[in-house]
Amino acid sequence: MSKLELSGVSKTYGATVALRRGDLSVEAGEVHVLVGSNGSGKSTLCKIVAGSVKPDGGRVAIDGEPVAIGGPKASKAKGIGIFYQELSLAAHRTVEENICLADMPVTAGLFVDRKALSKRAEKYIALFETVSGDDFAAETVVGNLRADQRQLVEIMKTLATEAPILIFDEPTSALDRAQAERFFEILGDLKAEGRSIIFISHRMDEIFAVGDRVTVMRDGETVGTRILAETEPTAVIQLMVGSKDDLAEAAVNPPDAAERSGTPVLEVSGFSGPGFRDISFSVAAGEILGFGGLHGQGQSAVLRSLFGAEPYGGGRISLEGTPVHYSNPRDAILLGMAYVSGDRGRDGIVNGRPIFENVVPVHFLRNGLKIVQPKVLKKRVDPALDALRTKYASLWQAINSLSGGNQQKVVIARWLVDQPTVLLLDDPTKGVDLSAKSDLFALIRELAREGMGIVLYSSEDAELLNNADRILVFNQGRVTRELTGADRTRFNLYHAAYEAAS
Amino acid sequence: MTAVAATRPPGRLKRVFERYPFLPAFCIFIVLLALNGVFSPASLSARGLTGLLSTYLALMLLAIGQTFVVYASDIDFSNGAILSLVNVVIIVFMEQMGGSGLSVTAALAVGIGVGLACGLVNGIVVAALRLQAVVATFATSIFFTGLALYVLPVAGTPAPRLFWRTYGGRFFEVPFVVFAALGIALIVYLLVRTRLVTRLLAVGDDAQAAYQSGLPVTLIRIGGYALSGVFAALAAFCVTGDTASGDPLVGAKMTLFGVAAVVLGGTALSGGFGTVVGSALGAFIIGLINALVYFVGTPSQWQNLVQGLVILIALMLGIMVSRRARA
Repeated sequence: MSKLELSGVSKTYGATVALRRGDLSVEAGEVHVLVGSNGSGKSTLCKIVAGSVKPDGGRVAIDGEPVAIGGPKASKAKGIGIFYQELSLAAHRTVEENICLADMPVTAGLFVDRKALSKRAEKYIALFETVSGDDFAAETVVGNLRADQRQLVEIMKTLATEAPILIFDEPTSALDRAQAERFFEILGDLKAEGRSIIFISHRMDEIFAVGDRVTVMRDGETVGTRILAETEPTAVIQLMVGSKDDLAEAAVNPPDAAERSGTPVLEVSGFSGPGFRDISFSVAAGEILGFGGLHGQGQSAVLRSLFGAEPYGGGRISLEGTPVHYSNPRDAILLGMAYVSGDRGRDGIVNGRPIFENVVPVHFLRNGLKIVQPKVLKKRVDPALDALRTKYASLWQAINSLSGGNQQKVVIARWLVDQPTVLLLDDPTKGVDLSAKSDLFALIRELAREGMGIVLYSSEDAELLNNADRILVFNQGRVTRELTGADRTRFNLYHAAYEAAS
Repeated sequence: MTAVAATRPPGRLKRVFERYPFLPAFCIFIVLLALNGVFSPASLSARGLTGLLSTYLALMLLAIGQTFVVYASDIDFSNGAILSLVNVVIIVFMEQMGGSGLSVTAALAVGIGVGLACGLVNGIVVAALRLQAVVATFATSIFFTGLALYVLPVAGTPAPRLFWRTYGGRFFEVPFVVFAALGIALIVYLLVRTRLVTRLLAVGDDAQAAYQSGLPVTLIRIGGYALSGVFAALAAFCVTGDTASGDPLVGAKMTLFGVAAVVLGGTALSGGFGTVVGSALGAFIIGLINALVYFVGTPSQWQNLVQGLVILIALMLGIMVSRRARA
């Protein structure tokens, strides 16, 4: 009998299926690894077990007994502890308070028992004593810690639940080698105590070093479970990739290398900043350069810094052969940079305002216009919107009344009134429907053909493989591999993305 | 591999400010106290300070209660109205019961009950029904004011002699308000050590994280509003003692002064960070500013303008100092 058994668990958010059919069976005294590409449903599956996401369907059983998990509190009571990928720490509280947050010892049922709290936290802090760093103390405020130390606190907090079932959703992403090693030792001890451990990781070496079995997820479904001792990394990657090990469906417009003029419009060298280091690349006029890899490996950070929206630490940027310096989006726009983010709400639309007002600001900035002349401007706005086949009733309609896909088209149209030199696309199709997606990529290819340099980051691997002429794979804030021509396969992309960063 | 994002280790000044976020407020408080002494030496006498304390004890209590709500990144725009309601309820209650010692004690218990009930209503509306805190507590404030006007339509019913005599009186040569302040200090000392307050701060830091950690977030937020309601009731006792009468609108203008006191004290409106001591200092800063404006002889028609300007300057100073310290 399995300690924890999930069968046919599903979850949909509106039109997006986060988890189609999740099956998982974990034994006591086992480290069970869960792998799958971005958005394959691993985190959703874990959050369902932890009670922070309510499933739409399926069955969860602990020790063979079907259970209903009402919320995080109920899940804890049923003996489940979870490490959240995005961490669940209170930044202004101390390390020891965070470790004991869920279950603070009290005296008289009312007052925090500081002594007992320190004592309990000390036990978990001591586990990592040798690797947590000199500036790490029980009384340190969590907000003052480094990313790796915060991750250690979240691990300690998870261990403090003393739950028989422990879930670790990417616990090692910010840890250094020594810290990760120490964590694996502890995992070994927990395993020996007979606890069940679910472990999500993107590093093949880790997976094979600590796991007993692996369950692979793809597109929201469990596709198989293997015993790790009897398999090898390529087989696991093959399972993640499935039968689609090629350029997926035929590209909308097959990239044609010969069409590239070869003159670089954007050159970046030794570019470093928060979340990425030493990035160098160049984009030729007419080229679509893809950024690939797992989510959050520095791709977005590079694009945002290139647009001047985030500061960068060092490096050189040249536009059409001329070295340039700028530190804000305003200057970047004037130099001919354009940026479209997948997070429309934050970076794209001017909420509640008409389509017209959402298209013209960049045109105003680039031409130094002062007075709004709707009739004159309409002649510039209409063709830009039409080029994207944007569906709208009137230019004066509020942008919120459009679908996600059409909103994104309006945001892109903003940049097309005056042609930019470089177009930076930061996961531009997030939450965009399929037909709008194909319109968008047809247009992007068209823009490239007209001589624009395009950098595309997409969290959907198929999009990247279908549309980019060349792919730089990001891993831990660095470019670890470049895929060109026939190398651009799903297998190679996953392989590079899941390699341990050196 | 090393961590990609690294933060600098905190400097010493930063650590001091983290430990005592009310330091800028304390400095402003001392400066204002000195200025008051310069323009009106009598204001620093025991009598002058007692007067200040008895007038601004209510605002201080209101600000303290607000602090707990703000900890969880909520806000209570109705605590002034709760103050008014408790004020008129106890006035009418004591009048009907005859003003004896027993009736005063009973009135105090009823007052606390009313404050607690109002706080719970706020908490349920905001945390359980998930309405916007700003608008929802503004709405309940109108509702509570309506109730107060029903209980006592016109200001004026006097408090029993025993009540204001006690508040304005002396025991063992020490003014009663000093005992009251010490009592409040003790309550606050105990309160900040409760699990509830730590949990309020954790919720204010990141409500989603707190929920995912298994904390009962809704109950915790209701707890914050309940505290605010009870402190509004305590504030109402002080107002009743100070003015010796009932007024259904007495607290309305105090609400925002209370919020200002919280911010002056260094508590973050975004939640998760702050101190009760700061809020108490903030209330007295406002009191001292009002007194100072009067002592320097500002013509009456200019008093509001000057008062507003000085509060703005105090806010700016506080923010500038703590921002620099935390950078």
